[in-house]
Amino acid sequence: MARRSGNRSRLLLIILLVTSLFLVTLDLRGVSLTKSSRSITQSVLAPVQKGVSNVFSPVGRFFSDIKNFGKTKDELDKAKIANSLLKAQLAKVADNKGALNQLKGLLNLAGQGGYKIVPARVIGRGSSASFSQTITIDAGSSDGISVNQTVISQNGLIGVVKVVTPNSAIILLISDPSFKVGVRIARSQSIGVLLGQGNSQYQLELLDPIGTIENGDVLVTNGSQGNRPFVPGVPVGQVTGVDQKNSSLTQTAIVKSYANLNDLGVVSVVISAPSVAPKTPINPTPQPTITVLVTPTPTATPSLTPTPSPSPRKSKA
Amino acid sequence: MSPIRIASSLVFFFVLFAVQESAISLIHFSVAGFSLYLAVAIALIAYEDHDGAIIMGFLSGIVLDLSPTSNGPFGQWALILTLIGYVFASNRESIFDATSAPLTFVLLIAFGVSASLIFYLFFGLLLGEANGSFTHDIVLILGNLVWTVIFAPMFLPVMRSFQKALKTSRQSK
Repeated sequence: MARRSGNRSRLLLIILLVTSLFLVTLDLRGVSLTKSSRSITQSVLAPVQKGVSNVFSPVGRFFSDIKNFGKTKDELDKAKIANSLLKAQLAKVADNKGALNQLKGLLNLAGQGGYKIVPARVIGRGSSASFSQTITIDAGSSDGISVNQTVISQNGLIGVVKVVTPNSAIILLISDPSFKVGVRIARSQSIGVLLGQGNSQYQLELLDPIGTIENGDVLVTNGSQGNRPFVPGVPVGQVTGVDQKNSSLTQTAIVKSYANLNDLGVVSVVISAPSVAPKTPINPTPQPTITVLVTPTPTATPSLTPTPSPSPRKSKA
Repeated sequence: MSPIRIASSLVFFFVLFAVQESAISLIHFSVAGFSLYLAVAIALIAYEDHDGAIIMGFLSGIVLDLSPTSNGPFGQWALILTLIGYVFASNRESIFDATSAPLTFVLLIAFGVSASLIFYLFFGLLLGEANGSFTHDIVLILGNLVWTVIFAPMFLPVMRSFQKALKTSRQSK
């Protein structure tokens, strides 16, 4: 009798394990059934998350509301959004300054306007039963949000849209170990890749073999083709430590993000980027320079004749 | 396990999952996080009989796989929690003894949660998932263990009485 029960349990175990492996295989092969089941779950959960967030957030905001007595929450939210835009513009100015210095003041890389954004409230954070780092926001495809759009907070880049449902979206945070973003050092305009490490610090790998990283260097996003997933010029963070290993081909550094991912209340999804943006290195335009020509004369008195020339070379006639 | 029990368990797990995703996930824990879902699921697995533990593991895993924030493929949690269910079922007698000793049972649940996270990490590595640095993963697993030890005594007595009431009603029928 006990043996029969044992055989039945083993059979049950095998059936359930095979079913699980079958589901894993289906998902890895990209069958839409498994993908859509998660999307449906998110659609069902979003109103619950929004409701719970509405109930619990006044309690969580109690102390901040006392501190800002007299101001309504709406005013604060609007001020936060305005502040985030101003900070983004400030970082852009620093970025442009570096580019202008490098190109001898010939190019104007200033942005032609701010980003077009959709503000949203954070209604959930990634489950602790998973190693991924995500947040859920209360805006979705009905607000113009789609997959692979840049998400910013008041201080800079925080992530990218991963999943979208009509009324909610899941954002993969910059701290997630699978997160990668192309960045540019504002000072030197060297480009690199920033990798999430699972905590509040990130690793920068410089792609430029002769480029240098210095402590305090400001990083901005380099931008992607078609501005997806990343729009250019968004402040990312600051270098806090440079790895001085000589064995590696390129330099690496530790970066601290501007955005505090533990304190995200309102975030913004960038739905369109400025029409003109310094996302790729721009070739400098040649400028006429003064060349000194020394002409020998029979009187042995040299004369200096300034003439414009496209090359800064000093030539002797 | 009857179809009605399977259906009611699925509903229970989904409600628990909604609580985890909408309420527990809003709490900012200073280190790592706490998974109420995993802790309750492991406790239920421990209370079940031999076949019930395996089925309960599979059902709880399937619901957890529905999580849109999960970075693993659909079915990964079902696989892991089925295995956890089998481990609990294989050690039925010693685990049954542990349920009568509250402190031992809390530790058992906490280690069960940690073991399932380690399994998840291991399968994730096999499938090529990026799960962060070793230190980060260790901190996350240990943090979860500590929070489970802290919070489990608060909900285990409720679950125990609920389980007893359920068993009594089944016996009386």
